[in-house]
Amino acid sequence: MLKLMTALVTFVIAAIAFADETGTVAATAGNVIHSASNYTDKTMFAMAAAGAITFAAIGGAIAQGKAASVALEGIARNPAASDKLFTPMIIALALIESLVIYAFVIAFLIKPTV
Amino acid sequence: MFKALFALLSVLFSLSASASGFTFLSKVSNAIHTEEHVLTFTLIAGLLIVVGMIYRSQLASVGNAIIPDKGVSFRNIVEAFGEFIYNLCRSTMGEKEAKKYFGCIATLFTFIFISNLIGLIPGFLPPTDNINTTLALGVFVFIYYNFHGIKEQGLVGHIKHFMGPVWYLAFLIFPIELISHAVRPVSLALRLRGNMFGDHLVLSIFSGMLPYVVPIAFLVLGLFVCFIQAFVFSLLTMVYISLATAHHDHDEHEAH
Repeated sequence: MLKLMTALVTFVIAAIAFADETGTVAATAGNVIHSASNYTDKTMFAMAAAGAITFAAIGGAIAQGKAASVALEGIARNPAASDKLFTPMIIALALIESLVIYAFVIAFLIKPTV
Repeated sequence: MFKALFALLSVLFSLSASASGFTFLSKVSNAIHTEEHVLTFTLIAGLLIVVGMIYRSQLASVGNAIIPDKGVSFRNIVEAFGEFIYNLCRSTMGEKEAKKYFGCIATLFTFIFISNLIGLIPGFLPPTDNINTTLALGVFVFIYYNFHGIKEQGLVGHIKHFMGPVWYLAFLIFPIELISHAVRPVSLALRLRGNMFGDHLVLSIFSGMLPYVVPIAFLVLGLFVCFIQAFVFSLLTMVYISLATAHHDHDEHEAH
């Protein structure tokens, strides 16, 4: 518990220390996000594309790990049923992976705008 | 031994060459002004027709066609492949329906499998990494299972499937079923296209980046992914067909 709190506080302090210190002028005529900073619209597009595939990969990995672990446990209990367990496991893995692939497609659709 | 080494080295050198974007059929497609994935797909269709014709001629020339050859022969490979798909059909759809739909399922599986595999050969692009090909396949599957669902159960019976199990929830379930049915071809297409595109991209990036022996790991991964994607496409098609043509036998309730 103490270690967790120390790590959290260190992280927050580091995040504040490394933050950009550019003046945030009010956006003029709605063209860029911060007028006086280095950020443009393209930054947001790039971050969106990267974030899409990041979160999709995290969720997909957790879900596939659960599916594979339960299937492997079933095979370990009853090795003779491994053929009957293999096909539904492959279907489940492919269906979960298809959601990750949708996010991948969206990331690639965003990519030309960067 | 040296021949194998030479073949391996030439494959790996050409992997680095195709990482820069050269394909064999790009020359042809620029000359005839067609798209490259159409050409590759036509090539695969021609290849499969030739394989089928060779198989039929070998079947006719042997006296007793039921007895398989000894060892590994062309006939045995084709028959093992067909038996694998037939067992898959039988375990998903039951014996009687497997005979009816085996033609379509086997064609789909073979086409998608060979199309995916051709991407692993350096100098070819898989036609399934283009959304046009996969969307065409998805729409075909959609029309096919709806057509057979209407043929088996009539138009009214097919629409009644959308109503759900009980009548008083039909207003809730009907839009949900409609949307999920409409998404099916799109999801099939996107899944296949995304997998093949990502796989080919990874292969070409790593072939350009790493020394000559390391991309073999990605080729093995690509082999696995090709097979799994073709497998999942045809499995989902079978599931959709069996859902659309399922007969609810109400006589079984008295057998308890």
